[in-house]
Amino acid sequence: MARRMGARGGTLALCLALALSLLGGCARQEEKSQRQLFAMDTVMTLTLYGEGDTRGAEEILDGSVQQIQWLEDFWSAVRPEGDVARVNAAGGAETEVAAPTASLLRQSLELCAVTGGALDITAYPAVKAWGFIDQEYRVPSQAELAELAGRIDYRQVSVDEGTRDGETVYTVTLPAGMELDLGAVAKGRTADLLAESLAADGVSSALLDLGQSTIRAVGEKPDGSPWRIAVQDPAGTGYLGVLELADLAVGTSGGYQRYFEQDGVTYWHILDPDTAAPARSGLAAVTVVSPSALTCDALSTALFVLGLEEGVQLWRDHPELEFQALFITDEGELYLTQGLEDAFSLTEGYEDREVTVLS
Amino acid sequence: MSRNGKIILLVLLAAAGLSVAAVAARRGETDHPVARITWDGEVVEEIELDRVGRGYSFTLESQEGSNTISVEKGRIRVAQADCPDQVCVDQGWIADGTVPIVCLPHKLVIEIVGGGSAFDAAAG
Repeated sequence: MARRMGARGGTLALCLALALSLLGGCARQEEKSQRQLFAMDTVMTLTLYGEGDTRGAEEILDGSVQQIQWLEDFWSAVRPEGDVARVNAAGGAETEVAAPTASLLRQSLELCAVTGGALDITAYPAVKAWGFIDQEYRVPSQAELAELAGRIDYRQVSVDEGTRDGETVYTVTLPAGMELDLGAVAKGRTADLLAESLAADGVSSALLDLGQSTIRAVGEKPDGSPWRIAVQDPAGTGYLGVLELADLAVGTSGGYQRYFEQDGVTYWHILDPDTAAPARSGLAAVTVVSPSALTCDALSTALFVLGLEEGVQLWRDHPELEFQALFITDEGELYLTQGLEDAFSLTEGYEDREVTVLS
Repeated sequence: MSRNGKIILLVLLAAAGLSVAAVAARRGETDHPVARITWDGEVVEEIELDRVGRGYSFTLESQEGSNTISVEKGRIRVAQADCPDQVCVDQGWIADGTVPIVCLPHKLVIEIVGGGSAFDAAAG
């Protein structure tokens, strides 16, 4: 009798231990922590599941917020003490910048080159002239646009390094009259750096939404399923499709994101570096998927400028960039590069939409 | 069922209940959609969207400017605002947590917490 009771007591203890471990495991795995902040001219939402190896979720998120603010100080053209603003104000003189700025500029310049200048990080004077910085919108004259286009040329940017007291020093030189605008690359790079920090902290599941145009997934969802990222219908307010992905970034550029209307014409913020005017390539939006958020951010802009045909050619010619793309034309047609075929599906109400898979 | 069997069952049920409660409490979310309105991160209003009977509107004013918010059962939008870009107004209604409504010039955010959503984020 005593032995039987002991056995039952053991079973009970075992069940209790099992239940408690389930409880603990469940809470640890699924605990969701979230932070929202205004930065880089948008609102960002950082979502983290679970904890780090040695730091709690809240402490990690505090670090992420600080990292964003630190990078914004460097890369915002409107923060006078920042690297970009100082380079822009230098009037052609060599300007010392921080290592993260030099690194971002070098990678961005490579992307400018690979896109044949469809991406150009020196368009700030033109972006300002259209009023996209201070929201005092205006349409510059043809003569003004020609003059502005003449001041857009990423090839004039030089990033150099030297040593001082044994430390590496980085400098940037830009001809007088030209100005940097990292709007098409800063959020992407920020997302990549945040993701690196989270991974170093041992975080295995997080979603970094840097204002819809740049999204970076770290790992998969806590239940092991892919993240479901809706794709905005550029012609309406709904979502026309969904991308299911893990450990990848998504970048989107569209004419509907930031624009103004004058005399019945819509002018958006994505400018063609050749004309200094809004890029009109027949595309309403481009979404790029890649392991690198910087690549997504930069190439979504470049592909929007290039248009479908040249954009697809860039995809075919540069497999080393490791990106896939979804093109949405002004007519609402969808073109998908082959690598996204399995990840993309149309949402309810859009099932009739024709999707062409490109190979 | 034996007495010990009942105890085991009770313990398991209690643990399961606790587990759900713990997760829900940690996430600060409910089964029902709640619209949370914040100004520069500070919560100014929380509205249980399931409990809205007749639709109504109200205006929030700050130094930055004003936003008129309309609420109906299960959804919310910014109906009017004096911001220059009108992005918050153009976004229309939201009914789940996929994307918040953001009025950047006024640092106003309306997000729906709880109630679940079909997507984790939206690219656009």
